[in-house]
Amino acid sequence: MKYSIAIVGNKEAILGFKALGLKAFNANSAEEATKVLYELKSEEIINEKTGESKPAYAIIFITEDLAMEISKDDYKKLSAAALPAIIPVPGPKGTTGYGIRRIGKMVEQAVGSDIFK
Amino acid sequence: MAKLNVKPTRMELLNLKRRVKSAVRGHKLLKDKQDGLMKTFMEIIQEAKGTRREIEASLGGAFKNFMQASSMMMPEMLESALLYPSAKVDLSVTTRNVMSCVVPYFKLEQEGDILNYGYLQTSGELDMALSAFQEVFPLMIKLAEIEKQAERLAAELETTRRRVNALEHKLIPDLKETVKFIQMKLAETERSTVVSVMRVKAMIEAQAAA
Repeated sequence: MKYSIAIVGNKEAILGFKALGLKAFNANSAEEATKVLYELKSEEIINEKTGESKPAYAIIFITEDLAMEISKDDYKKLSAAALPAIIPVPGPKGTTGYGIRRIGKMVEQAVGSDIFK
Repeated sequence: MAKLNVKPTRMELLNLKRRVKSAVRGHKLLKDKQDGLMKTFMEIIQEAKGTRREIEASLGGAFKNFMQASSMMMPEMLESALLYPSAKVDLSVTTRNVMSCVVPYFKLEQEGDILNYGYLQTSGELDMALSAFQEVFPLMIKLAEIEKQAERLAAELETTRRRVNALEHKLIPDLKETVKFIQMKLAETERSTVVSVMRVKAMIEAQAAA
């Protein structure tokens, strides 16, 4: 089973990744990004032999500046299933610390408090 | 602690005792699951932190290169150079079961050349920027894998923790209290029966004596 990888972000952030063979999607605001993410998530490939359907994208990278603006409810819905993995990466403006904060949040969810603070 | 709303009968007592037994066993199993998940989660989260830091450092550099390259070229040229990439990435996904929580593993397959444009209108900096992206890319996949695993485990840990707590602090104490209540009530009824039998016996004896 083969999956694709996508990246969502503004133009200057995604152009370089497009050359690597990722599917690049342009989004300039959080609303646009949310819409794109929902579309990407619902995109499915149907296996002709077995008739099973699976998500087309296994990983969707999104630039941090967009990721941190996405509402909590949307984020929960988007990240609920096993695939795709929605991973924020630092954009051209450099890191915002969102990635590390996200890990802290996971620890909090799992343990009950952020023990690495 | 609130006792459950049941009638104090021997049958209920037997039922409740059975429920306490299965609740305690379930609690032990869930606790073990929680410990197992926590062990894996801690390993993964440490790794995730390290990888995340690495990415933040190296991806920043790659973007800087790319920005420099794009500033040296006309925007139209840059876009047309990168319009039809010949490189292709595929990802195969395998899963592993950690304490009944399915976590994904990614394996990257790349083919084709990333430098798929004429050299005439593009700058050498672009080549360098793209190969920098190429270098960071496997690390990004690694990060995606680890962070998704961490996310899945965190969600599973949360529900397990809640179940363990609900059993430990609510259901089991409630059941135990109700069992105790029924036992007391039954003992009380028994004593009261004995007393009334004794009284009846005394009355019969008094009548016989008279």
